[in-house]
Amino acid sequence: MKQLALALLVTLPAVAALGDIDKNKTMGNPSAPVVVEVFSDFECPACKRFHDESLPLLMRDYVMTGKVYLVYRDYPLQMHKYSRQAASYAIAAAQFGFYQPVADALFHDQTTWSASGKVWDTVAKVLTSEQQRKVQATADGPGVLNELMTDMNAAAAERVDRTPTIVVSRGEKQYPLPGGGNYTFLKQLIDDLAK
Amino acid sequence: MTSPNRVVRIVALVLRIALGAIFIYAAWTKLRTPWELFAMSIDSYELLPLRAVEFVARTLPWFELAVGLLLIAGVFLRSAAVATTLLLGVFFGLMIRAYAKGMQINCGCFGPGEIISWKTLLRDGSMLAGALALTSLSFLARRRAV
Repeated sequence: MKQLALALLVTLPAVAALGDIDKNKTMGNPSAPVVVEVFSDFECPACKRFHDESLPLLMRDYVMTGKVYLVYRDYPLQMHKYSRQAASYAIAAAQFGFYQPVADALFHDQTTWSASGKVWDTVAKVLTSEQQRKVQATADGPGVLNELMTDMNAAAAERVDRTPTIVVSRGEKQYPLPGGGNYTFLKQLIDDLAK
Repeated sequence: MTSPNRVVRIVALVLRIALGAIFIYAAWTKLRTPWELFAMSIDSYELLPLRAVEFVARTLPWFELAVGLLLIAGVFLRSAAVATTLLLGVFFGLMIRAYAKGMQINCGCFGPGEIISWKTLLRDGSMLAGALALTSLSFLARRRAV
């Protein structure tokens, strides 16, 4: 019991420092020593690169092993015409537990829907008709807008001004990595923080 | 009336204190955060292999600190001035290259979070001009002393 209380005391500041988070857009152990927040825009090519190349390694090495608590933050940039719409669908899908497949599909087909504007076609591909109905009914609602505003506020609080930005934190220590950076150094940073 | 020699000495003093303070500040912004952050900034220039990036990220801030302290103390001034000029020359060249290629990357000058822009180029260009002037003055002063 004492150990549990101690573990909570150690990990609470890390999670508390995160502010409001949508639990449906997180992965891993909430009491992991290191928290990694990924501020990303579905229409941004560098975000796709991070999603395709670094994220799977981060998941394998740290999230699945319980060393990192991963928090997805949607930060659609104004310069991208359809990224807000894509974020709305992803957040709506998150409310039913489908954030990951929708996010994967959006990044996979990024060049297609960002050119055609047919965001829904990509989202629909990975959902059943029942799931599609739920997501469409939710995407334009105030709940999704609130979630989006929560992420945008978190971005403002952490002075995020571009995507992707990875914020690595342990307790009060918080390090923003604009541009995502090379996985080798991200891994080294997490290892150092986790010590 | 102020003699030209006195003016030159005052200009040199101002330049070395200003450049020294900037170098110490630049070193401090890097040393207060984990070296990996600076490594990512260096890596974003896409010039060096990873091992070299790590070496530069771990050592350059200490070198900047040493150069800054030497400039402020006025010790080994000519060597410190040359080192400052060479460092700023390399930084400026790399920034020009990145800007010309349209790379939206961190300058890495004073910690993370500062994208290369015409403002950073103007600032570093001015610093390079100041370092060149200081180097010239320090060698000129030696020649006069001889």
